[in-house]
This record gives sequence, C-alpha cells and structure tokens, in this order.
Amino acid sequence: MSGAIAVLVFPGTNSENETLRLLRDCGGRAELVHWSRGETLGDFDAYVLPGGFAYEDRIRAGAISAHDRMMDFVIGGAQVGKLVMGVCNGAQILLEAGLVPGTGPIRRPAAAFTDNAPVPHFVCRHVYMKLAVAPARSPITAALPDEALIPSFAAHGQGRLAADAAQLDEIVAGDRLAFVYAHADGRLDDAAVPNGSALGCAGLINAAGNVLAIMPHPERDAWNFNHLDRRQGSDVLAPSGGSVLFASFVAAVDAR
Amino acid sequence: MANPELVRPGVALRDDELRRIAERLGREPSVVELHAFDAQWSEHCSYKSSRHHLKRLPSEGADVVLGPGQDAGILHLGEHAGERYGVVVAHESHNHPSQVVPYEGAATGVGGIVRDVLCMGAEVIAVADALRFGKVDDPGSHARYVARSAVDGIGAYANAIGVPNLAGDVYFDAGFDDNCLVNVIALGIVKESEAIASYAPPGAGGWDLVLVGKSTDPSGFGGASFSSVPLDAGDEAANKGAVQVPDPFLKNVLMRASYRVFNLLHERGIAAAFKDLGAGGIMGCSAELAASGGYGADLNLDDVNVAVDGMAPEVIAVGEAQERLLWALPPEATADVLRIYNEEYSLPEIAHNARATVVGRLTAEKRYVLRYRGAVVMDVAVEFLTGSIRDELPYVEVIRHEPEGAELPAVDVERAFPRILAHPDVCSREPLYRHYDWVVRGTTAIARDAADAGMLVPVPGSPLAVTLSIAGNPRLGRIDARYAAERAVLDAVRRTVAVGARPIGLTDCLNFGNPRKAEQYGELVAAIDGLDRAARELGLAFVSGNVSLYNESSAGVAVPASAIVACVGALDDVSQAIVPGLKSAGSALLWIGSRELAVGGSVLADVLGIDGPLPSISYDAERAAIGIVAGAIAAGTLLSCRVVAEGGMLTALARLAFDARRAGRALGAELDFGNPLCEAGGFLCEVRDAPVVDVSGTLKVGTTIAEPRLIVNGTNFDVGQLYDVWSKPLAEIYP
Amino acid sequence: MSERLVEIALKIPDNAAFTALLALRRLGLDVARVERSEVWRFDDRGDPATLADRVRANETIFNPNKHRLVELETMRPRPGETWIERRDDGDEVRAHLGGKGIAGVNASRRYAGWRLLTSGGEPASRETLAAAVAGLLCNPAIEKAIY
Repeated sequence: MSGAIAVLVFPGTNSENETLRLLRDCGGRAELVHWSRGETLGDFDAYVLPGGFAYEDRIRAGAISAHDRMMDFVIGGAQVGKLVMGVCNGAQILLEAGLVPGTGPIRRPAAAFTDNAPVPHFVCRHVYMKLAVAPARSPITAALPDEALIPSFAAHGQGRLAADAAQLDEIVAGDRLAFVYAHADGRLDDAAVPNGSALGCAGLINAAGNVLAIMPHPERDAWNFNHLDRRQGSDVLAPSGGSVLFASFVAAVDAR
Repeated sequence: MANPELVRPGVALRDDELRRIAERLGREPSVVELHAFDAQWSEHCSYKSSRHHLKRLPSEGADVVLGPGQDAGILHLGEHAGERYGVVVAHESHNHPSQVVPYEGAATGVGGIVRDVLCMGAEVIAVADALRFGKVDDPGSHARYVARSAVDGIGAYANAIGVPNLAGDVYFDAGFDDNCLVNVIALGIVKESEAIASYAPPGAGGWDLVLVGKSTDPSGFGGASFSSVPLDAGDEAANKGAVQVPDPFLKNVLMRASYRVFNLLHERGIAAAFKDLGAGGIMGCSAELAASGGYGADLNLDDVNVAVDGMAPEVIAVGEAQERLLWALPPEATADVLRIYNEEYSLPEIAHNARATVVGRLTAEKRYVLRYRGAVVMDVAVEFLTGSIRDELPYVEVIRHEPEGAELPAVDVERAFPRILAHPDVCSREPLYRHYDWVVRGTTAIARDAADAGMLVPVPGSPLAVTLSIAGNPRLGRIDARYAAERAVLDAVRRTVAVGARPIGLTDCLNFGNPRKAEQYGELVAAIDGLDRAARELGLAFVSGNVSLYNESSAGVAVPASAIVACVGALDDVSQAIVPGLKSAGSALLWIGSRELAVGGSVLADVLGIDGPLPSISYDAERAAIGIVAGAIAAGTLLSCRVVAEGGMLTALARLAFDARRAGRALGAELDFGNPLCEAGGFLCEVRDAPVVDVSGTLKVGTTIAEPRLIVNGTNFDVGQLYDVWSKPLAEIYP
Repeated sequence: MSERLVEIALKIPDNAAFTALLALRRLGLDVARVERSEVWRFDDRGDPATLADRVRANETIFNPNKHRLVELETMRPRPGETWIERRDDGDEVRAHLGGKGIAGVNASRRYAGWRLLTSGGEPASRETLAAAVAGLLCNPAIEKAIY
C-alpha cells in the first residue's frame, strides 16, 4: 500500500496543481488539501508544501502560514517522523515553523529565506541544485545519485539564506545543508547562485532528515516538454529532469 | 444648452449627450443616472468613435469558436480524449492609469484582463504584455520610473496569482514620454462545451445577480471617463484617485474558488452567466449582462458589500474597485455558489469584507433600476443606457511621412552590427522579464523570448500546445499607421509559424491619439484598414480587441500610431515544436521571404541616422514564405528558425547562435549576403543540407559552423562577445 | 542636518494588519486591534517645513490614493507599539526609494511599525508586545525589534 501524500493549499498558494501532477506522475498517491479541510491532514503519511505567496507573505514570507492550523498537523507529523517537503514558499513556511534547519524551538525561526541580494528583487532563472549531503542522509534523497544535479527554476524574491555566523556553522556541522546552487556541469561559484544565499544554500534539511526545504522549483523543469533541448526518450509528456527528486520523495513515502 | 448645474467635476459627458439623456428621460437625470451615463457612454465603454470602423475587421473562421462581443474570444485549439478544447484570449490596454500610477495601473491591467478570461469559464494559463515607454536614459525621469514600476506591477500581480508570462515586447521612444502604453493579454483554456457566457441566456428572467469579490470602495471612481480624455498633468492628484488598488492575493483565491464553482455548475448541468466588473463598475457590468440577453435588472445598492460607510450611491454604482465579478444564477444554484466563495474559500477572511452576495435580479421588463435606502435612484430603459451611441467624427486620410527614395549607403557591418545589437529595441529583454514568473504552472515549453513565440502545454495529459506572439513596431507607426498595422499582423503571424505552430487567430489593441482631431483620428481609421487587409489576406480573424484613445500629451501630440497585434497559434503535438537555437554544424542557412533592401523604419536607419523608403508588402510572397517554412517543418528538414525583424537577418542569426549557446551548443555561421541588416521580413532558417525543401523564393545565405563565430562577408564576430553586447543594456533599467 | 521620523500608513483597509490580528489571537494574546505603518527615519538637510511634501513627492513610497502621512514627534515607538527593522535593509531601502530619492534627504532607515490594542482599547502591555514580537512579528535571524 502506497503512502498518502497531502499537498497543502494555503490561501495564496499558486503551484499546487503542477506539484500534485508531478507527484502523481512519479507514482505517488497524492491529493490537494485545502485550508478549509485542514482537519483531514492527520490521515496522511507525508506532506508537501508547494510554492506561492501564502497569506500574501504578510509580515514575512511564511510567517502567518507557520501559525496556520494546517501547520499543527505538519509539525506534529514531522515530530513523529513523517516526511515533509517544502518548495519555495513552502520552504519559507518550514523555516518560519522552525522545522528546518531545526536548530531552535518550534515556531521560533533560527534563520530566514529573505530578500535576494545584491538586488532585492524577484528573479526567475533556470538553476541547478546539487545534492550537498550523502544521499542516504535523508530518506527523501535516498534514491538520488551522489552529488545529484537537479535542474530547476529559481522564481522568488526572498530566497537568500540569512542567519548569524554561529547558526551557519551549525547548519554546516550538522550536515543540514542539503542542496547548493551549481552550474550545469556541477561547478560551484557565486555566479551559480541566483540570490546571494549564504553557503550557496538552495535547500536545508533537519537533523532527522525527514524534513526538506528547497527554494528552487524542480516541478517546473520536470517533464520532457519543459526542456525540449534536454529531452529524454520519445514520450514528450513523460517526467524527466527535476522529477528525480519528487520520484525519490515518493519512493521514500512508499517505503515507510 | 444643458442645465449647467448638471455639469459636475469628473463628468465627461458633452452638452449634446446631456441634452439627449434629458430628452429621452423626459426629466433631468438623477446624480446616479448622470454618472451611469457618463461611464457607459464614455469612449472606454461605448467605443463610440471606433466601433463602426472596427466592425469591418474579419471575425469569423474555421478556428473561431467565439468572436468579439463578449469579455473574451475563443479559438479552437484541438481535441483530446474526445473533448474539444478552446483557447480563450483577451487583449486590453491600461495606458492612462499606468502613466499616472504605474505600479498599480499596470497591475490592475493584468487583474482586469485575467478576469475577462476567467469569466468565460476558463482556467487562466498565461499573460503577456506589450509595453511602450518613453526615453529612459535619465535615471530621474518620470519615464524611467514608469518603465520600472509598470514592470514591477505586472510581475507582482501575475506572480501572485500563479499565471506565467508567456510573451511580450517593449520599445523605448520619446513619443511615449507623456503616454506610456501598457497592453496586456491573457489566455485561458476551456472545454468548448463548458464555456460560460457573459450575457444572460434565454430563460434568465428572475435570476439572482451575485456580486463576488472585493468590497466596493471609492477607489477607481471616474475611471471610465478618465480613460476617455487626454491626460492633463495639472490634474495628477485627481487622476491618481481614479486608479484602482490591486489585490492579487484576493484574486488568487477568487480564481480558485471560481474554478470550483465552474465544476459545480458543470456537474449539475446548470447554465449561468459570469461577467467581469470593469469600466462602469456594478452598473456597467450588470446593465450589459442584462441588456445583451434582452433583460432588465433591478439592484439594491444597500446589499453591496462596501469597504467604508457613507459612500454615495453613484460611487457604489459606478466605482471601479478591483477584483469583482458578477454572476447571474438560477436561484436554485445561488446558495451553493455563496457557500463555495464565502465558506469553502473563506473570502471574508482573505480581505476586509470580501464576499459573494446577492445584489439584485434580472427582470423581464427592460428597465435598469437601482435602489438605495428605499428610494429608486436610477430607472432608465436599459437599451438606451447600453445601446449603440455613435460618434461619426471627421477624419483625414493619412499621408505617409516618408522621405523620397534615398540611396542606401554602403554599411560598415563591423561597426554597425554591435550598435544594432545594443539598440534598446533589439537588445536582450531578459533583465526585464526575469522579474516575471514565466514557468509557474509547470506547463511552459518555450519561454518568453527563448524563440519568436512562447509555447505552453495547457491540457494535462495531452500534447496539445498553444503559442502566443506579439508585434507592433512604433517606428513604423510613426511613418505610416496603415503600413505599421499590416506589418504588425504579418510579424505576429510569422513569429507563430517560426516556432512550428499553426496561426489560429488574432487580437488587437489600437492605441491612438485624440479622435476629435481629424489627423489623429485618421491614423486610427487607417490602422483598422491595415489590420483588415492583412488579416483577410492571411485568412485569419480578430476575436478580441480593445481601443485606447486620447493617448495625447498636454502639448497635443499623439503617441506613434500603435496597432498592437497578438497571434495565437496551435500545435497538435508539442514534439513538433521548433526548438530554439542552431542545431548543428554544416547546415544550410536559408533566407525565406522578402529580402528587399529598404531601410525605412529600421533599427539600421536609426543607428546610422539615415532614412529611406519602407519595404513593400507582397501578400503572395508572404503566403509563399509561410508555406515553405511550414512545409519544411512538416518534412522534418527545418532545424531552427527566427523571423527577420528588428535588426535584420544578421540579428536573427545572432539570436539563433545565442539560443544555441544557452543550450550549451557552441555554434556559429559563415554568411555571404550584401546587407544583412535590413529588416524587410521573411524567415532565417537552418535546414538540413539535403535539398528537400522547395527552394524557390528562398536564398541560401550561409552555412553553420562548429565554432561560436559569425563570419559575415569576411568580418569575424565572436558569439560570446556579441552576446555580452546584446545582453547587458537593459540591466541598467531593470537591475 | 536633523533626524526626522515620518509615518506612512494605509488609509484603505489594511488586510495585512487584519491577518496579523487573527494570528496574534491564535497565539492566545489579548489583542483586539492591530495598526500597521511604515516608519521612516530620515537624515534631512532640507527645510523642515517642507519635509512632508518632499516625501509625498516620492512616488514609490507614497501614493495619495492609498496613504496618509504623519510626522512623528517621538523618536521611539509609542506605548503598545513595536518597530521592526531589517538587519540588512540598506539595499532594499535604496531600491524602495527609487531613482529619485527624496530631495534634501541624505540617508534613511525604515521600520515596520505594529501597534497593538487590547480588548479594552488600551495599548498592549510590554509583556504582550514581547510575546507578539517573539512569536510572530520578528524573525531574529534577520530583524530586530524596538519597543
């Protein structure tokens, strides 16, 4: 029996449909759970928080959503080992909820995904995320190869990891820097980072490895038709590219 | 003379119109009626000085599911799993508001066009923008502020609602210093059998009118008439008040709630009507919805959810607060629709006093009645309010402002080409559009500017693809409005063909000056002639359009004639798309189409400070070129393609090399053609060197090479260096 | 040169303040009303009498259709109020002021002002403010709160 995955829809979420479609195309048993049906979330085995502007990023990106009723279920589930993945705005919510990097108390953020630098402006750009931990570090990344390169799109105005030096040290020492930005050939340098993110961070993971927060969107470069240039195989509608991360997530959910 | 007491600030009705109203009513109009007629008879709502000319445009064809007349047109995209799918398309301007308050003005432009598509029962799948800004060289200029803020507003709005930006263009020209143009286009996808009308269908007498969305506030009061007079810099404070306040967060939720309502109605087989509130507010929307179905309406303004107490009834009735729509529903559906908006999607918790609420009903009597605090404040024959008022204005034939056939001087390509690539009309638009989200929804196949048209795969599980391209070159508009309009159609269509799509329909937005000046009005009439001619020659119809007049500075100068055209294309299978960029070394480069050496209106002429005649247009040659390209695509011999437009054939070739570079292919070309910088038209195509295509009407101009260099008549350009020249200029405006 | 404070607030319904109110109540705090503003601290070399007009002329931070503007006498948050400042706000502030800046203004800092009122209509206590700041209004990784 495959696990049930909830794709959370907050007011202002905007990437729920492609997130759902990709989870399903990767074999996942997934459905949308809308904010007015949040009480059903306890019935699910895993949670995906998609991109968007939940609650219009009021106060700060992710701040209001972290206190939404739906997050009671996500936080409770994460604490008992359910798998959780947040993409873009979903990542911002997980950070505001204190689930990643997970170095402080719940709902007391220890870091932030905040205004891009040097220009504090929304940017939409193709990027690669490179796996910066051993695949086995997290069940969510377990099916990826070492140093996997995940094609994705950065599409955010607040994606720069910011925290004090001690926090950044703890993130690195605690093996919580899950993904960094890279070039197509795997090289790392400042030009590969679209937002000035500290540590070149594209994604964070918690200590237990069951909560992953990524700023870029693999689900927007996830079918052959999204990248006709890099197309694999004959089926133009088949998942490929960034779908490998979602496939790994689905496999981990189903293995539980 | 009309009663002078009736002439109020903010009312743009003319004396003769006021007299006509009083005569027809048999009494002086009430204050509410005065403002209602002011909005409804404005140019913005009534198209009074353009409609009789617009009627000439072709509006029917095999791909047309729904022509002009409702909030948006519908074109047939294709079939999947036994269902016919339509592309809903709408095209509008938000020029005046964007000049005054650019962030809000441009954002509400997107908000409005998205509602036009939504209310056809469609899921919104893309937006696009055609922008014309003034000269932005001075960092402190209002023109630069407008150019930046309008882009920020478009980006912020579309990003928040989660609709990708698929296509667009931008020009910078001093002719737009006092009047920017912000044209927006939106696309939707709908099963053709499930499209919802924006007029009351037969049997709708007694149906509920349900207002949905933001609470009505005083913002945007007077917007319709504000858009229908020239901007006066002295009235800036008053003008700012007429610009609405956008709320894309609320719109995000409204769209999703409306999709849920569409499902409910289809499941139960319930017919309904749905219409966007735009110019003229609640009054304009409800009156048009009722009148176009042959009904009247009776509304109680006390039932409207308002943002502040004490609003005057005329402000509630015609104010243009954003993010509102109107349903006409059979009463048995009303309770469920209210529940979806107010409870399932909790509108009242999303924004202050936002909700869905019953405000009136459709009536069999063809009267338009508004009540407020127990009194009737408006009671007029609905057809008189919405009917065809018409201004037969005098106009003069446009005369081409073209110099006598000057000799084309010898061009130093080595010096001129980098200047052309860095020209504001040619250089990379990426610094601008990276502020937009062009990949949300995960459906993007060809991104904006990655090729001549953007391409989406809008139906999950189906390979059907839709494309969108835009054209409308103001440098041509300055010279000849009719010619510029014809070229806009041709360019938009060629761009569609160049990505491998089949053109299925057109939209237009006509941005012109003051119709009460015979010469400026003459440009509008000439442009409509041009659109008509070109569309008929190519066998295409216009299914949506908009006219924006009074784009005239306080000095009385009109903007360059700007007929902006969008072309929608279709592919049965996205795998047939022409993937951007040169593909391999050793391919032949063919120029297919007109290679006339005429520089009128070209970037080359601008860069060199010269002038010359406009290239001629031959529809036989255009149709032949389109046929050859489509044939090569069908035969599988066409590897890559760009249209020859601004910057000429060499610019098209450089773009193909840049596209390849971005995809990691280091390719270039060796070229042998006398003047590769003229922009008469045609396609530059990379084809397999086998002579499979019919090469009549084509010329082999070069061969691709395995090095990132362009060798032009012996001059050697490095593709990387050209890319730097081309990619950087707009970064100063859009950091 | 003088240091001046200007408060810019919405005169149309403030949905962000409304949402913050609901979230603060979920934290169990006695808050009945939330008022939000943008507080600007300017180093001004211009004529003090014209500062308000000069600020109003900056189209990126002031829109007469949406905003009202008040010059503050105080240099500190009032009772029941906290000012949240971004630790690395310099680029954002410059960008926000747009190309033209404000005539006569040398440098500026920006705060998000939050004023909390209890069900009795009183300014919220320092304890309530502290809980609101720690629980919702301030992310200490990037912001600091004054109250």
